[in-house]
Order: sequence, then structure tokens, then C-alpha cells
Amino acid sequence: MKRNELQNNLAMTVVLISAAMLFVTLFMGYAVYRSSADVWPPVGVAKVSLWLPFLSTIFISISSWYCYQVRLSVAKNDISAAKSQLWLTTVLGLAFMLAQSGLWFFMKSSGVFVTSGIFASVMYGFTWIHAVHVVLGLFALGYLRWVLRTPSPYILQKTINVEKFWHFLGVVWVVMFIGLFVF
Amino acid sequence: MSGGYNEIHPEPTTFWSKYIISFDHKVIAKQFLWYGIAFLGIGGLMALLIRWTLAYPGEAFPVIGHLLFPNSAGIVPPDSYAMLFTMHGTIMIFYAITPILIGAFGNYCIPLMIGARDMAFPMLNMLSFWFAFLSGLVLLASLFLPLGAAAGGWTSYPTLSTMIGSPGAGQTLWCVAIFLFGVSSTMGAVNYVTTVITLRAPGMGYFDMPLTVWGLWLTAILNAIFVPVLGAGVILLTLDRVMGTTFFLAGASATSGSGDPVLFQHVFWIFGHPEVYILILPAWGIVSDLLSFFSRKPAFGAKATALSMTAVSVLSTIVYGHHMFTTQMSPLLTQSFMTLTMTISIPSAIFFANWLGTIWKGSIRFDSPMLFSLGVVFVFGLGGLTGLHLGTVTTDLYLHDTYFVVGHFHYTMAASVLLGGYAGIYFWFPKMFGRMMNETMAKIHFWGTMIPLNGIFFGMLMVGYGGMHRRIYNPFVYDSLKRLMPINEMITISAILMGLFQIIFVINFLWSLYKGKKAVNNPWNVGTLEWTIPSPPVHHNYDVIPVVKCGPHEFGNPNLKNGRDFQYQTEELVQGPA
Amino acid sequence: MDFLNLSVSTSWWELSKPPLDISTNGHLIDSLFVYTSVLAVFYFILVCIGLFGFSYLYSQKRNKTPYYTYGNKKKHLLVTAFIGAAVFLSVDLNITRLSNNDLLDVFWKWPNPKTEKVLRVEVMAQQWMWSFRYAGPDDQFGTADDIVTNNDLRVPTNTKILFHLTSKDVIHSFFVPNVRLKVDTIPGRITRVWWDANIPGEYDIVCAEMCGTHHYLMKAKLTVYSEEDFNRWRSTSEKLALNANDPDDKNLAWGWKWEY
Repeated sequence: MKRNELQNNLAMTVVLISAAMLFVTLFMGYAVYRSSADVWPPVGVAKVSLWLPFLSTIFISISSWYCYQVRLSVAKNDISAAKSQLWLTTVLGLAFMLAQSGLWFFMKSSGVFVTSGIFASVMYGFTWIHAVHVVLGLFALGYLRWVLRTPSPYILQKTINVEKFWHFLGVVWVVMFIGLFVF
Repeated sequence: MSGGYNEIHPEPTTFWSKYIISFDHKVIAKQFLWYGIAFLGIGGLMALLIRWTLAYPGEAFPVIGHLLFPNSAGIVPPDSYAMLFTMHGTIMIFYAITPILIGAFGNYCIPLMIGARDMAFPMLNMLSFWFAFLSGLVLLASLFLPLGAAAGGWTSYPTLSTMIGSPGAGQTLWCVAIFLFGVSSTMGAVNYVTTVITLRAPGMGYFDMPLTVWGLWLTAILNAIFVPVLGAGVILLTLDRVMGTTFFLAGASATSGSGDPVLFQHVFWIFGHPEVYILILPAWGIVSDLLSFFSRKPAFGAKATALSMTAVSVLSTIVYGHHMFTTQMSPLLTQSFMTLTMTISIPSAIFFANWLGTIWKGSIRFDSPMLFSLGVVFVFGLGGLTGLHLGTVTTDLYLHDTYFVVGHFHYTMAASVLLGGYAGIYFWFPKMFGRMMNETMAKIHFWGTMIPLNGIFFGMLMVGYGGMHRRIYNPFVYDSLKRLMPINEMITISAILMGLFQIIFVINFLWSLYKGKKAVNNPWNVGTLEWTIPSPPVHHNYDVIPVVKCGPHEFGNPNLKNGRDFQYQTEELVQGPA
Repeated sequence: MDFLNLSVSTSWWELSKPPLDISTNGHLIDSLFVYTSVLAVFYFILVCIGLFGFSYLYSQKRNKTPYYTYGNKKKHLLVTAFIGAAVFLSVDLNITRLSNNDLLDVFWKWPNPKTEKVLRVEVMAQQWMWSFRYAGPDDQFGTADDIVTNNDLRVPTNTKILFHLTSKDVIHSFFVPNVRLKVDTIPGRITRVWWDANIPGEYDIVCAEMCGTHHYLMKAKLTVYSEEDFNRWRSTSEKLALNANDPDDKNLAWGWKWEY
């Protein structure tokens, strides 16, 4: 049992390092674009209004908190509480996706098209890549819901793995929010 | 993820679960081996087409030329030529070397050599192969597109690889294939890292692991960290191609261009330089072990070798800029990258010294795995030393993008890895398939590979220094290159010879599979754990998990009294009279 | 199979020599190459002595009992450390220092048009052609009196030539084997290189970076004139340019203002 825990933690660490490297590369690219541009956003492009991304941040943060609650409940073997908290986590995750879609429509309607240059490329491209990971995360939450149906000694470990990934997505979004939208 | 707990899993019974979606690391290793050898054949054939075009431009490729290029009377046309060298590079690196060295040997050797019953995550392991398979299919499919496969070189520099330079779906499929391959590699890496850390047999410290496992483990770590960097690069490139973003677009042809094509080069080589070591580290590990096994004495400075390999892995992450000297980075970056690159020679010199130290005063058996290992020392020596010319900025300004570079990286990445891979195949074949390979054919294969191989790659160094630049279709376009044609012809003839000698390997491999002499448990008299069990091993490898009591290279201990000159790792180290 | 019997006229050594060096500083690169090669060959010979020597001396036939050692005695560690240090000190530090000096003293010492005789040339690369632009009598780039040539670069001897380069479409690489230098041309940014040519004649300029199907055809002619010949060509061309220049021709209007 001990070894199983160690294996899962190690494997999850490697997975998260890999995923983090992907985003680190993106941010490195962003740093290059940002530092080589005279003004950012480029002349003629307006900064994206903060309220939708801010909403997304709220959603994903609360979602992360609920995900943490799921794990606590599973640790206490309170599966029914875990199920409802997991439900909330998922709904908030979906709300995040909704807010993101809103953000894309909003950017489009305010004249920032995907093809209109490097600023738009970064805004759309990075949020898309993150969103794809969130979709994967949502599938993981669905998988966890399925796992919770049948008692097994591995439920807690699986919950922890999914929880880590979900927190990771939250952290990446917060970095993106600060780096891309606020700063 | 569910964990592996080193318990005995029941043996699968159906064909499907036994051979196709098998969770057994030994079967997955064989799947990777077949996959790799198949792609090695395809990539090799592409190499011959390339070489033929360079030596005899405008002449039909013999025998199969008319079949492959019916529209141009058997002559390789220029656009196909670009696809050929792009696919040759991509296939050899990602679809031949990686599956054989990392997929096959990694899967086969790691659990067996550390005394485990399987990988930590058998299902992930299975998925890793099938992602690689899917990736290979996507890549091969791109060859049949109307506009053909990717043709921007395996490096796929934008803006050539964006819609400006490469219309058609080939380049997009290339990106997809590479991304899938990256997913597969990362899955493998998760498994290897975890397995080595958690499933070592009781008593086995890190320095009791065979150096093969060290090499594979370091490779897995580098893979996990740097493959996603390329992943990010190809995602952005795909977005540029499909969605119309402008991450890598700039210049007059890019209507809304404000991106940075050089950024891709940075991203590519941040991945690309470690990738070189990802490919070579398993070969180094195998060679370090085999030199000791066949010299019948302990590996000289095994700890130092392991630490040097680690040092090289670390250094490999901070030297990538030497691939980009001609893009005119800031002078400070250029100088730093040159200096950092040079420091790699210190650990390299140390493990070279250790390799020679290992065969020094040994009692050397020249079986085929040993011949190939000695071959690796020779060709990697040449490859490593020619790196000095390219790591130095001023000489690189002349040699960059010439055939000197091609010769250099083929020596390091292709020749040494190929020979290392063959050494591994000849060595572990008895364990994998329970039969011996034919030794005479193996020796013919060695000399038939080794001699033309040097003809090819040394020839490339020569024409490169002579000023022939890379990736050109017809050297006759340049007056200054005409004088190099005899060397080009020599290279091509060597390449054809080498290709022909590989047929001997294929025959030997297939013949031995069914008709080879039955292998005993330990045909090479080696003490590492995989030789303590039957050949081929049973489904769960070890009936009882072994307990390790000594290192992997216990040979020639004068205190041994049992008629053997080696000790199994499961035996207490024999001490002399105090 | 004519490669087998050419030893009569030219040796292989001759064949693989780099093309004629026509510049003042190309020899720096050549000599560093030779220097590095000598060191590399020295160490490779050491490796070969070990490899073949030990293989001969210590084969199973000649040496029945191997020497049982882990190579971790103090003596062994010292030898290994010495080899590592020797390589670093004799090879790495040396060639890094030499190369660095060459860069700082020569290749990165950009000629100053204000204080010395410099010919400035703007280069535009595109699939699959090189275009060169010389400032006309007004000494300004991007004006109607510029001389613009395609695939045809003419330069005088005894003059430093400073190139500013960019690309219209994909990355190319401006490579003149005869002066040993190359630099990438990158869309969206300007790179530079300078050299001089001292031996009149005609040479190849090639594109060294894969740039598409016809990469191999992307070559230009470099003509090195004596100074008088060059001035004659230049004054004729300037007159021609003024007459022939069509301000509406988009293909000709690629010049940019020379900076720094």
C-alpha cells in the first residue's frame, strides 16, 4: 500500500512537471513577445476587459476549493458528501469553460480576431491550450465520479491524483490571468 | 492511475490480450522492437534514395525507382527529395531510434534488470505503445497526401513550416504525429522514472543498478522534462497553420505578421539538444555494461560513469544555443553557449577514460555484442570530437548547415546509437526470444556495417569541410561542388553497401527467431538479474523477487572458488582471506 | 566508379580542401579549424591506441586472467580526473579563447562607414532568389537612385563590405564559402555580416538554410572587381538605375532605411 502511494505521487509529479513544462514554454514565448514589443498591447489594439477573465478566476478558484473538500471527504470515507462536492467542482469547472467561451466571443465582437496579430494569437492560443487541459480535467472529474460509485482501497489515491491535476489547472489559469490580462 | 505492486498477475490467455493490448512489459518491448525495426527499414530506404540523388542526380533510382516515382521516370523529383530528407530525419529519430533504444530496451531491461515483475503502470505502458503506433500511422499517412508529406526538414523551422512555405496538410499531420509521439514518450517516461525509483529489488541501491538502467532512467527524466517543450512548439505551429494565429510569422509575406520565427528555433533546440542525449544515453549505458561483461572485469569507475552521464544530462539542458549561432543571438548569449558547450567534454572525457579503463587488462571476448560496443567507442569518439568544431562559434560560422554537421550528428546520433542498438539486440536476443542469433552472420554484419558506415559519415565530414551545404538536391548546380563529386559517389556506394549488409541482420534475426540454437538461461555468463531466470522469462519474470547483494559487474574476482569467473547479483560478494 | 582511380591527378586530401579563401580574415577560421582538428586527432589517436591496443593485448587468448579492479583506487581516480582536466584545459579553453578573440577583434568589430572605407549593401532573400541593393549617389537606401541587382553581387577588392540582410518569406542563410562566413536571413528582423574580398574573380553565393523545394537553386554570383573596375561598373549602373527605376514596381521597392 505504501509503495502504491509513493508510485502514484511520483508518477503524478512527473505528469505535472511535463504539463508544467508545456506551459512554461508558452510563458517563455510570451516573455519574448512582450519584451521585444515596443508597446503591449500593440498599437491599435485595446486591452481585454478584465471582468470575464476575473469571473473565470473566481470560478476555477472555488472549484479548486471544492475539489480539496472532495478529497477531505473521501479521506473521512464520507462518500456521499464527496459526491455532492464533486458535483459542485464539476459545475464550477463547466462555468469556467462558459466564461472562457464568453471571453472568446467578447474578444471577437470587440474586434480582436484570431488572425489579427501576435496579441490576439497569445490571448486566444494560450487560453485555448489551457481550455483543452480543463476539458481533460473535466473528464478526469467524470472518471472520479465513476470511481466513487464502488468502494475500493484505491479511491483516495485516485482522488488525490485528480485533485492535484485540477489544482494545477487552477494555478496555471491564475498565472495566465495575472500575466496575460492584468499585467 | 492504478499502481503496480509487484504482485503476480495472471497470465493473459486470449491472442488479443496476449499480443495486442498486452500489459506485459516484455511483449510491449517486442512490439516496440518490431515497430522500430520496420521504421528503421523505411528510414534507411529513404536515406538510400537521398544518397542516390546526390551522387547520380538525374538518374533513375535502380530497381524500385520506377515504382516509387512513375511520373518522373524513376528519378527522385526535387519536392519528393525535400520530403525524403524531412521524413528520413523524423522517422530515424522519433520512430526508429526512440522505439528501439527507449521503447524496446527500456521496457525489456528496466524491470528485468532491477528485479521487478513489471512496470509500475502496465496499462500506461500499453497505451504508450499504441499512442506511438497511432503517431506512426499519422506520419505514414501524410506521405500519401496530394501535396505530400512535410518537407521543411525535421527541424521544421517556421516560416517555412507555416502556410507561407508549406501549404497542404502534410506539415500539419507532421505536427500531430509529433505531438502524439510526445504523449507516448511522456507516458513511457512516467513509467520508467517511477519504476526505477520504486520497484528496485530489495538490496539494490542506485549504484547497484546496471549502467544500462542508469542510461534509460536519465533518458526518461530528460524525456519527461523536455518533450513537452517541443509539444508546446508544435501546438503553436499547428495553431499558426490551422487557426491563423501568427506566433511564428513575420516578414513581408505574412500579412499580419508580428510574431517571431526564431522563437520556434529556441523552443525546438531547448528540446532538441536534450533529445540528442535522450537518444544516446541508453546506448552509452548499454555500452558501459557490455564492455565490462565481455572484458570479464568490473566496469572501471562505474560510479563515475553514472555520475558523468548525469552531468552530461544536466549540461545538455543549458547548451542548446550552439545550434543557432548563425541566427545572430546577442553576443553575450553566443559566448555563453560556446563556453557551456565546451564543458560537456569534461564528463565525456571521463567516461571515455572509464570505457578504456574497463577493457584495460581485461580478458576480452570478441562476441558480436562486444564488437558493436567497441564500435560505439570508436564512432562516438569521432562524433564527439567533431563536435568541437561546431561548438566553436567562428568555425561554426563556416561549417553550420554544411555536410560537416550532417556527418557530425550522424556519427553521434545515428552511428553510435545504431551500433549500440545492435549490440543490445545481439546481447538480449537470447533472453527475449529464447534462442541464440547466428554468431558468424553477426560478425559479418558488424564489419559490413562498421566499414561502410565510416565511409559514409567520414565522407560527409569531408564534403562538408569542402563547402557542400545541406539539403541540396543537385550539387551540380554549383561549380565549386563539382570537384567533391567523387567523394559524394564514395558515400553513396558505401551507403548502398551498408544497406545491403543490413539484409544479413534481418535474415539472421528472422532465422534465429525460429531456427536459432536454443539459449540457456545465461549464455553470456553475466551476473545481472535478468540472467538468473529462464530464457525467455516466464510471464511474471521472477517467481521470488530476488534480493540483491552485490553490484552488476562482478567479474574476475580472484577469490571466486566455484568454477565461475562471475557472480550473480543475488550472491554475497566473495571476500578474500583477510 | 571513377572515384576509385582519381588518385592520379588529385588526391582526396586536395579534394576535401575548402574553397579558395578570398578574404582577409577567412584564414582565421581555417587555422582555427586546423588547430581544433589537430587536437581532436591527437585525442582520437589516444582513444584508438586504447581501443585497438587493449583489444590486442588483452584478448582472451593473450590475457587469461583479468585484473580485478573497480577503478576506484586513488591512482585510477587521479588518472581519470587528469584526462578530464587535460581535455578541458588543452582543448576547450584554448579554442574557446581563440574563437572569442576572433569574434571580438574581427567578426564582431563592425566597420564604421563614417571613419573607414565601407561598402554598404542591403540584401533581401526570398524563395529562391537573392536581391542586393547599393545606395546610389545620395548615399541613402530605399530611394530611386539605388542600384538593385538580382542574384548578382559585385564588390570591389580592398574594401570592407557591410551587409544588412532580411528575408521576405522564409528563413534563408547567406553563405559565401569563399569567405567562410554565413548568416541567416530572417523575416521580420535584420541580421548583419561583414567581410572583404581580395582576389578578383567569380564565386558562388549559396543559401545554406532549407528554404523550400528549390533551395538548391537559390544561388547568386559574387563578382569581385578591382577598385577601378568596380567604380566603373557602379557609375554605369547608377545611370542605368535612375533611368530604369520604376517607382510603381513593388518588387523593386523593398529597400529600407539603413540604421546604426
